[in-house]
Amino acid sequence: MISFALFWMAAFTLWWQMHAWRTPETLASTRFDRPDGEGRLAFSLLLPARHEQAVLRHTIERLLESSHGDYEIIVIVGHDDPETSAVAEAAAARAPERVRVVVDHHEAKNKPKALNTALPHCRGDIVGVFDAEDQVHPELLAHVDHAFRSTAADVVQGGVQLINFHSSWYSLRNCLEYFFWFRSRLHLHAEKGFIPLGGNTVFVRTEVLREAGGWDQNCLAEDCDLGVRLSSVGKKVVVAYDSDMVTREETPGSLMSLLKQRTRWNQGFLQVYRKKDWRQLPGRGQRWLARYTLMTPFMQAASGVIIPLNFAVAVLLDVPVGIAIITFLPMITAMVTFVFEIVGLHDFGRQYGLRVRFVHYLKLIVGGPFYQVMLAGAAIRAVWREQRGRNEWELTSHTGAHLAPISATAGAGAAGASTAIREDGNQ
Amino acid sequence: MTATLPTATDPRSGAAADATATAGATAHPPLVPQQRTRHGGLGVRPPAPAHPLVRFRSSRPDLLLCGAVLLAIVLVQGWNITHFPTLSDDEGTYLAQAWAVQQGDGLAHYTYWYDHPPLGWIQVAGLTYLPSLLVPDWMTVAPMRFSMIAVSAASSVLIYVLARRLWLPRWAAGLAMALFGLSPLSVVLQREIFLDNLAVMWMLLAFCLAASPSRHLWHHFGSGLAAATAVLTKETMLVVLPALLVTMWRHSHRDTRKFAVTGAITACALIGLSYPLYALLNSELLPGAGHVSLIDGITYQMSRPGSGFILARGSGSNGVLRSWLYYDTVLPLGGLAGALLLLATLRWSVTARALAGPALAAVILAAVAMRPSGYLPAMYVIQALPFLALVLAGGAASVTHAVLRRRRTPGERRSLTYGRRALIGVLAAAAAAYVLPRWYEGDRTALTADANAPYRAAAAWLGREVPDPGRTRVLVDDALWLDAVHHGFEPGLGAIWFYKADLDPAVTRTLPRGWRDIDYVVSSPTVRRDAVDLPNVKAALEHSSPVAVFGSGEDRIEIRRTDRADGS
Repeated sequence: MISFALFWMAAFTLWWQMHAWRTPETLASTRFDRPDGEGRLAFSLLLPARHEQAVLRHTIERLLESSHGDYEIIVIVGHDDPETSAVAEAAAARAPERVRVVVDHHEAKNKPKALNTALPHCRGDIVGVFDAEDQVHPELLAHVDHAFRSTAADVVQGGVQLINFHSSWYSLRNCLEYFFWFRSRLHLHAEKGFIPLGGNTVFVRTEVLREAGGWDQNCLAEDCDLGVRLSSVGKKVVVAYDSDMVTREETPGSLMSLLKQRTRWNQGFLQVYRKKDWRQLPGRGQRWLARYTLMTPFMQAASGVIIPLNFAVAVLLDVPVGIAIITFLPMITAMVTFVFEIVGLHDFGRQYGLRVRFVHYLKLIVGGPFYQVMLAGAAIRAVWREQRGRNEWELTSHTGAHLAPISATAGAGAAGASTAIREDGNQ
Repeated sequence: MTATLPTATDPRSGAAADATATAGATAHPPLVPQQRTRHGGLGVRPPAPAHPLVRFRSSRPDLLLCGAVLLAIVLVQGWNITHFPTLSDDEGTYLAQAWAVQQGDGLAHYTYWYDHPPLGWIQVAGLTYLPSLLVPDWMTVAPMRFSMIAVSAASSVLIYVLARRLWLPRWAAGLAMALFGLSPLSVVLQREIFLDNLAVMWMLLAFCLAASPSRHLWHHFGSGLAAATAVLTKETMLVVLPALLVTMWRHSHRDTRKFAVTGAITACALIGLSYPLYALLNSELLPGAGHVSLIDGITYQMSRPGSGFILARGSGSNGVLRSWLYYDTVLPLGGLAGALLLLATLRWSVTARALAGPALAAVILAAVAMRPSGYLPAMYVIQALPFLALVLAGGAASVTHAVLRRRRTPGERRSLTYGRRALIGVLAAAAAAYVLPRWYEGDRTALTADANAPYRAAAAWLGREVPDPGRTRVLVDDALWLDAVHHGFEPGLGAIWFYKADLDPAVTRTLPRGWRDIDYVVSSPTVRRDAVDLPNVKAALEHSSPVAVFGSGEDRIEIRRTDRADGS
């Protein structure tokens, strides 16, 4: 029965979402270990920027405050973007030993191309990726350094957190999604050996990245794809989340841009699914986790529509009581999820020292169904675009250069929803 | 720890080929050399637990002790179970309704009127399903008491596990288990098919999960589910929930408590709400003309005439209390005293804090029983038994610890150490000398007495002497009802629960001429007691004469034929 399928789906998702809080020991293990003195690894931090002259300077300055002793910042700018280039060059002039500028000459630009352009210039042992508007904590590199050395990891994913939960009803839910994803779910993925990485605050050993051939320039979710490719061949990925060490970001400025961002993310997931790298995973359970995770947006969309429908059928139509009770099963998991979200919001407020008011909890509950509708819309849109195939993208790629400035979309989706730079074209 | 997922080295040659199957492969073939390492977290050491973990399943002494006590409990409770104690009306009710569930007749063979949540006898139906399939004639109260042994056994093991999880020493856990399972009071009550016994099992499971040493979120969630099941099995378990919450609070970790406790409460509430939901779906939530309703059922239970203050001589409640104390004083009184003592010494005693949950449960249950206006059923004490046993064993452990270890210095004189041991020996011997003879006497009765001979004879008589059971109508009490059904009487309108003749419109309708439509009345103590308020039953008793009498005195069972053949 559909109800049973939905019930188990929701139950699994809930189980995974709550991973970090399973036991106090699990929760303790999701944090960064305290670093043991100064770092020993050299970092190359990639900072792709496109039409982001407004925020870039501040981001670079903040990165330069880092307590770590050995790192370089490589700003990647487009050859057709003089304003951003000027900001980057000025920063390089001020701190020539730290900051370098690499120019991307690709005709149609996107984030993976920019990153691949910079990869040969990296001198460090570790490549890190940030976005131009990121607020990076000065202690982060020291912690990441320690994490690499103490766990012999190939990849370290730090936390990314949307902060502006008070901006609107959807940003509240968006923040919470990030919270559950980076605080909890990603750790489960790391433990199980299958992980879609995030778009920034991600650190990879340079030689591993080079062996892997860098980022996939054709993928709409190149970050997720990189994680899937690396973890599929058994590279060790470690995730750490500390509320004072996360990279802070903001939600997309409007519901429409959130929808677009989510569409790209979903489409990227579909592409990763079809690339089938995850089939190399050795365990059957891992492959199922991969399948399930990459298809999640679509199942989520489906369940978002079916659960209320089910409920309506059970209440309004005259069905036998036994059947009706069964149709309520998915409803039960939905309620449990709701309750955990409320507690999660409380915890989120505590961790970040933010004041969560009663009205926010109310928004969380009332906004839930509408957010589901948005997710369903994004999922349908993604499938539709994917069905229409590459023609649709060719079209965007031509107009891409004229699209709105990148700063309009703030940051990556939970598993690496792309920034606007990807909108600029994929061919 | 999370960083212990073993992954075998898997140098599969085909994998690399797979990796190139990229849609529109480009200048960047995503080739990554094979390498498998351990995955996982950051290798942060978890904080050391405050107490040593009890690994029950891999501890041989625990298993041996628990197994030995379990064997004793099963033997004592199982031996002579069909003959003692007297078959109770309630047992008959629940088993008959379980039978109805097995037959697929819904939740009861008469209209289900929300007297209790149905989960209890649904479980009884499940427990007795296989035996009733193999030997259908056994689906009567006495033989099916054997199914309760499984419940007792499960509860006993759970109480041992719980005691260990509450950090009691091994011997105290064994003591708690023995107190719980071997007290004459327990032996009598746990033998009977009472919903309370099932509810106790679920509540103990809930406590065990709440005190889970791994403090796992889903264990606490499961605890909520088990607690809800307990409440839906027997609604009076509701009052124990605060004690469960205390236990969970104490056993959860500060960092994860928020999620664990809310999760448990949510689970409990959601499952608990399924009962009103069931009523709602049946359109039987609110009272209305022509149908039963949940609200009516609750109103009835809440407005049952009070049985008086428990300590007032001569009140109904006092009679119930005396019947408990007749079987055993140690567990009810000693346990309650222990609970009060533990709650009073909460600030100083480690044991008191560990046992705060069970002690609170015992005190709450006692307080509820003290309500002067409340109705106190005889099986009420069943719910308190496990907590009383735990508290008593915990108290013993606490005293022992105090005598042996308190103010003890490393260089203590040997004579003083021996003195301490001797004192423990004396105390233990005194306790044993007080308890064992009384319990021996009580349990001996339970193992040898035959209280049900009249019932068996009456049931046999109905099967032997009534010429055409299919067309004969007989009023019986619930305990005999299934026997009558097995002898061929029509369930519901042929074999009639005596009080339904007056209280259930669907039955009364078929008796337009009152007692004249009834052929036999089986007059048991219950029937005689309740007939006062039941006109039809009373008339049937008055207009009938005994054709067979089994036993004598108050407890006799008469089979009476009505005078319809001669009179009208």
